[in-house]
Amino acid sequence: MGMEEIKKAIVEYLSKGAKTKVYFNDILHGVKKTIPDAKLPEVKKAATELVREGVVEYFSTGSTTMYGLKGRGISAEEAGAKTE
Amino acid sequence: MAAEGQEKLWDREVKDHRTYKDIRIFTEDQLKKAASTDEELKAFKIKHATPQLDELEKGPWPSVISDVKREALHRKKLGQDNLMIPEGVAEDLLGVVELAYVDKETHWKHGGIIGVLGYGGGVIGRYCDAQEKFPNIAHFHTIRINQPGGHFYNTDYIRGLCDICEYRGSGIMNMHGSTGDTIFLGTTTEQLEPIFFDLTHDMGGDIGGSGSNLRTPSDCLGMARCEFACYDTMDMCYDMTMSFQDELHRPAFPYKYKFKFSGCPNDCVAAIARADQSHIGTWKDDIRINQEAVKEYVAGKIPPDGGGFAGRDWGPFDIQKEVIDLCPTKCMGWDGKKLSINNAECTRCMHCIDVMPEALRPGVDTGITLLFGAKAPILEGAQMSLVTIPFMYVKKPYDNVKEITRKVQEWWMEEGKNRERLGELIQRVGLRTFIMDVLGIPVMPQSIKEPRSNPYMFFKEAEVPGGWTRDIKEFRKKHPL
Repeated sequence: MGMEEIKKAIVEYLSKGAKTKVYFNDILHGVKKTIPDAKLPEVKKAATELVREGVVEYFSTGSTTMYGLKGRGISAEEAGAKTE
Repeated sequence: MAAEGQEKLWDREVKDHRTYKDIRIFTEDQLKKAASTDEELKAFKIKHATPQLDELEKGPWPSVISDVKREALHRKKLGQDNLMIPEGVAEDLLGVVELAYVDKETHWKHGGIIGVLGYGGGVIGRYCDAQEKFPNIAHFHTIRINQPGGHFYNTDYIRGLCDICEYRGSGIMNMHGSTGDTIFLGTTTEQLEPIFFDLTHDMGGDIGGSGSNLRTPSDCLGMARCEFACYDTMDMCYDMTMSFQDELHRPAFPYKYKFKFSGCPNDCVAAIARADQSHIGTWKDDIRINQEAVKEYVAGKIPPDGGGFAGRDWGPFDIQKEVIDLCPTKCMGWDGKKLSINNAECTRCMHCIDVMPEALRPGVDTGITLLFGAKAPILEGAQMSLVTIPFMYVKKPYDNVKEITRKVQEWWMEEGKNRERLGELIQRVGLRTFIMDVLGIPVMPQSIKEPRSNPYMFFKEAEVPGGWTRDIKEFRKKHPL
């Protein structure tokens, strides 16, 4: 299976489900449901590629990091929005 | 050669040394004008009333509040035209901290989708939730910067860092964060990329780790200054940092993962208490003894503990009471003339060496003990790391350690739950699985939870000669009841 196939599986996984930000482990298990023989390094590479392309973005609390589809869920602007 | 337009990226290969002159942002004249006298500082009033913070300036110790006030005046004198984020950021910082003292709750919120392009760590988003009152610190992001090995800076580098922090940030730095990084406290989202550019292209540095990443590896100053160092901590830390760049910048771990490198069992970076993977220098042969120097310690000619006990009369040095009796494994003896050590029983506590450094030295056949699984008490309780490989030789390019590291990280990424540290996973599945099934190494007597007690390794029947089966009649002959 190729990189494009894994990228597609990641985007699909991130598009559905109630949670808009998920851990890498969730992505890995999500991708493995569609592509059972996908290897961890390949999934990481594909996720990194999607971040570089601007399709996926990191969401970090400082202690842990999650992944989300850009435009789905809280945005960078909202994170720093005025609260008063 | 560098690609066109990117020449600066490769400056280090062209030039041997970069000076402050090459990277400075503020002129000497600007810095001189911005310096303040004690009188100016005394007269300076920040725009917020901070009665509770002012209390922290009293007493004998240096106060961070005084430092931030000094910085507030410094920024005022530099002027907004010379700064990329609001000049009043330090004043608003004091204001919001005062408010937090009044309300007894924080006015910060952490996290978010910020960072530099392609990196998933090193920047921790921070926003103020009282932005109307404190507009200058609406964004107050933290940047973790990969510190130089052993925290050795030259003045050119550190002045360069200070210029960037002043120009593009609040001018407030933390030297250093708990993990060891140099920290820029407070900047805006717009300044993150420019800071990253200046830091990497102009300074030849890099940002550190945060989130579910390999955190910025840290080391003691090792062979640079310490006679006890059993391996080159700075070289190994740098090499491992470069080899695990992807893990440092692109988060895919279940949680944080820390490398720490201590040159000897004194463990000055507290690797055993904090690092998921601790590399602690040790030796295989005997502690070197200079019997003449021992006698000089006993005679009071050399001060014990490197002269650490000073300031009052601590009494004469008593080798029996202060060294021999304190040996945790009682493996030392002193007959009034000769110091003897049963090295096979030594657990590398370092006490005798620390007390009499001129008389005792670590052995010469040196390497590391590799330990895994320490953590602070965030989710479950605190854990010390476990001796996994009692002794390994370490030599550039450290392939033996890298191979184990990759194996461990891959297993943890596959098996670890979200926010589960390596030590917690080992605890959950058992050390037997970790050592024998994951690492594929034989069980060793050193792999125990505490020295000389509490063995936790369980064997399978096939691994024990003769298995579990026994002849009950033969057994009963010896054990009739």
